[in-house]
Amino acid sequence: MPRLLASALQLRRDPRILKLPPYLSLLCIIVGVAWLFLLPLDQYSRRTYISENALLPGQVHTYFSGSDQNVFRAYKHEVNELVNKSNAEINDKLEPIVKDIGLKTARQNFTYRAAGHTYSGENLYAILQAPRGDATEAIVLVAAWENVKHEVNKNGIPLALTLLRYFKRWSLWSKDIILLITPDSIAGPQAWVDAYHDAHNPSHVASLPLKSGLLQGAIAIDYAQERRFESVHIVYDGVNGQLPNLDLINSIVNIAGGQMGIGVALQEMWRHNNGYSDRLRTMLRGMLKQGLGLASGAHSSFIPYHVDAVTLRPFGEGWQDEMAMGRVIEGSFRSLNNLLEHLHQSFFFYLLMQRERFVSIGTYLPSAMLVAANFTIMAIALWVKSGQPAEDASPNTKSETPSSTAAPPTTAERDLFLPLGVVALIQSLSIIPLYLFNHAPEGFLTPLFFTFAILNTLLPPALSQLLTTLPRSPTSEHQYNLIKSFSLLLLGMFLSTLATLNFSLALITGLLASPLTFLQPYKTPGARIAATVLLKTISPTAVLLAAATYWGTDVASVLKEGAVAWHICGTYSPVVVWCVWWPAWVATGVVVLGGRGNNRRAKAKTT
Amino acid sequence: MRQLLPFLSFLWVTFLSSCVFPTTASSDYHEQLNLRPLPLSALLASFNFRSNTTFSKFEKGNFRFFPRSLGQILQHAGTRELHLRFSLGRWDAEAWGARPWNGAREGGTGVELWAWLEAETDEEADQKWLTLTNALSGLFCASLNFIDGTRTTRPVVSFQPEGDHAADTDMQLLYGVLPHEVVCTENLTPFLKLLPCKGKAGIATLLDGHKLFDASWQSMAIDIRPICPSGEECVLQIEQTIDMVLDIERSKRPRDNPIPRPLPGDQLPCNTSKHYHSHDTCFPLDHSKEEWTLSQIFGKPVKGTCPLADSTVPPVCLQVPNSRSVFVSKDVAEKKNPDGVSRCFYISPETELELMLPRPDDGASTDILTPETPLLYAERSFTGHGQERGGVQTILRNPSPDAEVEFIYMETLPWFMRIYLHTMEARVAVQASSSNNKDRNSRSDDINKSLIQQVYYRPALDRARGTQLEVRMRVPPASTVFLTYDFEKSILRYTEYPPDANRGFDVAAAVITILSPGEGEGGAEAGAGARAAAAAYNLRTTSLLCSLPTPDFSMPYNVIIFTSTAIALAFGGIFNILVRRFVAADEGPEAGLAVLVGKLKARLRGAAKGVKR
Repeated sequence: MPRLLASALQLRRDPRILKLPPYLSLLCIIVGVAWLFLLPLDQYSRRTYISENALLPGQVHTYFSGSDQNVFRAYKHEVNELVNKSNAEINDKLEPIVKDIGLKTARQNFTYRAAGHTYSGENLYAILQAPRGDATEAIVLVAAWENVKHEVNKNGIPLALTLLRYFKRWSLWSKDIILLITPDSIAGPQAWVDAYHDAHNPSHVASLPLKSGLLQGAIAIDYAQERRFESVHIVYDGVNGQLPNLDLINSIVNIAGGQMGIGVALQEMWRHNNGYSDRLRTMLRGMLKQGLGLASGAHSSFIPYHVDAVTLRPFGEGWQDEMAMGRVIEGSFRSLNNLLEHLHQSFFFYLLMQRERFVSIGTYLPSAMLVAANFTIMAIALWVKSGQPAEDASPNTKSETPSSTAAPPTTAERDLFLPLGVVALIQSLSIIPLYLFNHAPEGFLTPLFFTFAILNTLLPPALSQLLTTLPRSPTSEHQYNLIKSFSLLLLGMFLSTLATLNFSLALITGLLASPLTFLQPYKTPGARIAATVLLKTISPTAVLLAAATYWGTDVASVLKEGAVAWHICGTYSPVVVWCVWWPAWVATGVVVLGGRGNNRRAKAKTT
Repeated sequence: MRQLLPFLSFLWVTFLSSCVFPTTASSDYHEQLNLRPLPLSALLASFNFRSNTTFSKFEKGNFRFFPRSLGQILQHAGTRELHLRFSLGRWDAEAWGARPWNGAREGGTGVELWAWLEAETDEEADQKWLTLTNALSGLFCASLNFIDGTRTTRPVVSFQPEGDHAADTDMQLLYGVLPHEVVCTENLTPFLKLLPCKGKAGIATLLDGHKLFDASWQSMAIDIRPICPSGEECVLQIEQTIDMVLDIERSKRPRDNPIPRPLPGDQLPCNTSKHYHSHDTCFPLDHSKEEWTLSQIFGKPVKGTCPLADSTVPPVCLQVPNSRSVFVSKDVAEKKNPDGVSRCFYISPETELELMLPRPDDGASTDILTPETPLLYAERSFTGHGQERGGVQTILRNPSPDAEVEFIYMETLPWFMRIYLHTMEARVAVQASSSNNKDRNSRSDDINKSLIQQVYYRPALDRARGTQLEVRMRVPPASTVFLTYDFEKSILRYTEYPPDANRGFDVAAAVITILSPGEGEGGAEAGAGARAAAAAYNLRTTSLLCSLPTPDFSMPYNVIIFTSTAIALAFGGIFNILVRRFVAADEGPEAGLAVLVGKLKARLRGAAKGVKR
């Protein structure tokens, strides 16, 4: 034992150990990424199962058919007459229909301002009181007038109305059913849910005049397709990558697939052969959506309030008609109605790779954690390095290093003030892009972005120039190491915390920032230029521009989306980009370019 | 009646000593069913059964109409007045208007019990209350025994005795409520057994669990109170009431086929005026006025009358305008009341009563009575989200254009909702039409300050008693008042969570007792006026579901498994170190092959020596 300790201590003093961390970091990243690619394999993913026994999906007969279709057609005529009418006109026309069904209706106004636009409208909602119930619980059926692609929900609205009329006849409801008709798919539901939980800003969003009990679940219909459909697409991503309980998705998969014989697709994978590549693609798409943290449908705003919600969107060409869709929703509502407790049994953190395969957080989390750990390892290595006497201060003592290992290692005093100051300065600077991009009107976004991109390119050299010309003391190699150490430490800390909240965002940011671990002040001009070029290509602005080009949009609309999501839904992805990733990039840039100044001065001294 | 008279005269002879011959003898028991069609094709049916017994007979244990089982419980628990409520569903005041009996015969969702007990000290009252709740729990198959200290309160101003009590008796009022209790058939059967005819004859034959518990709203009430008519012997009155609101369309479905399958396309009532109307497209006409009969709604007609009931009281009354025609089966006498909005039906004990309300003419606007506007609308809901804090908001709306409403708002909150009383505030909803903003603000501030007049507050003790809050407040005419307060949710102990803890915890309905206008100023005729005042109008809000932070209940087991493993590993190592003796290599006896070889060598050497010798 003591021999082991002694040898460990020996190892600690070994200079080779300091060479190890970059390789260890690289290994972390490689293992982290490889881990991700293992997940779709059968050995690492699991089959889904219904955990909450009370749900009993697909165990009831559904009776939504027959003459209800006649009613549906009539409602559809009514809705078709309202296309291209104003929001108020639509609500004026729909409200009497809902009232005739025997529901209590109310309206709610909202106005949001984001990216120079005003998002305003009026929600119409109605409560079907549980026939024998007390207003303690409720489930929501959302039918937005327009879906996220701004297509009119021509079948969804009449279907929701017909369903509510049909639900009214049953006396078995244990929970109130709320029909929510919103003018759009993002702002309307958000305003309504916020107001329902009294988390709204009364100057923008009106309070709800009519309320029911705790919301136990929500299903949104997005049925703009006119033809008969083949399968149902379940959209489940919530704001900030939060997900509904897996039991809800499983129940719908079970009801649609098992009971009705309707296929189910996830993440816009219209065809899925359950092979490795399709599973991987589904998972990666899911992760990308989760990472962006945007609202993906009318259901998204419900999830942050712990209300499990999904959007159902029929797609494809098949022989299923709107009544089949209605029966899927009927079955799902019957399942939700069975719930005695809030959905809590199954997973809230998962990655779906096929409708019946998933991985849970315990399996996938190490991947993001490893990526985040690579920054921490490097930060520690740099900290240790900064405590050792500078190598190039005594280049001729290199031959004596073996003898110095025997003696206790000399520890250089760390000058913490400057590195901490620089890191704090960069972190505080990050407020500027966050504020600018979230508050600029849309028209200014493109020029603003390019101005910022240019300034962003100039910022690291300017900062490093500032550091070299500081009158106080010349910045040493150690201080550069400390700057990088602190910024990587922060990055590792933020990302590992974020990984528990939004795994995908943490992983994506971690991977995009991973080259920062390895960039260091290079001495040869060629390496320096290469490092600078690499640094520029992995800058947040360049990545943003590249991503926008890849998906065929312009950068302004990406930024606008971000600003809208920030103001309406409270998406925090911009914070991660500008306050976590960007400062780390700037700090690395300062270090990479700063070394040059130091070298130059060193050269000047020697000559 | 003719058979009854000789018996009564016999009584009179036998009990000459007892002071007065009860002139109310003929009305010792009476029952009546009141039917009132409500808007949106609903029907309110209120059943009322009432019987009296004199105190002298009651104390001798001489029960006639008064149920013995209940009577003995009352005697045993020293109960002077008792009110028990079983309720389900909610009263839709917007559509149905004022509540039946002015809300005096209903409770909040679940079970509600309040009683005046004869007790000199609090401890005695608690003891009697415990006896009473446990006994009633057995009698009514309800979990009334769960009304323990944490669910019992002693309201100060909300409830006033309905009966006549001697001024010198020491009575304590205790009030308990079980909001989570699901009222069902097992509560109805004992309820019917208390009736003299046990539900076998008379209007009680209509009470069937399938219909009663399919109602949109129902309330079963038992009220026992002493009544002292002037100059006569005091009587103990038991009044049993069942009110229910039935959905006519739902109730008419046959019992063997209760599934609301879609109607065949040709039977669907359509709005034919729509331009797109065709054989497969139909804009529905809902809530069309349908005809109904008693046996369609209740599954059977009234089977005669209860022979014990007072025959002068009509068993069934129907509240529709006199202009509307009603068909009844033969041998039924119809008598229209002079008020023009109700009629009653008399039948002989053996005949069946069937009643049919034909479909009104489409033109007739007055086919049903316009519901009476209630004095106050109240709606209560939670505000806020999350597991740490929350708020309660009650919206109180006074529909009257000129009269202000004064009432007592009572909340009984469980102890784990810790209310912040300083956050309680009442404010009038600001109307947008006012011109001067500043002036309006200062004026509304003045109004807001005068809304709450008195607060009776008894703070909760953790795990011992709940919060009791009584607020005497007023709502100005034609305005809406928001009463809000915040609370903090406490974390329960692991074993205190009920099964299905993730459902949330039910919070009992708030009780609103509206005081009649004269009593508002208080003081002068407090003694005599108090009883009349309390009876003005009662209403209850819906109950609430409060979600508390709930642990993952499998976690303790994970922890147990994890710690057990850790302990096992540690124990193994430590035990190993403790019992094993460590000896330096050169101190201990040698072992191994070398020792064996050495021994063998020694033997050989010994043997060799022996040989040499």
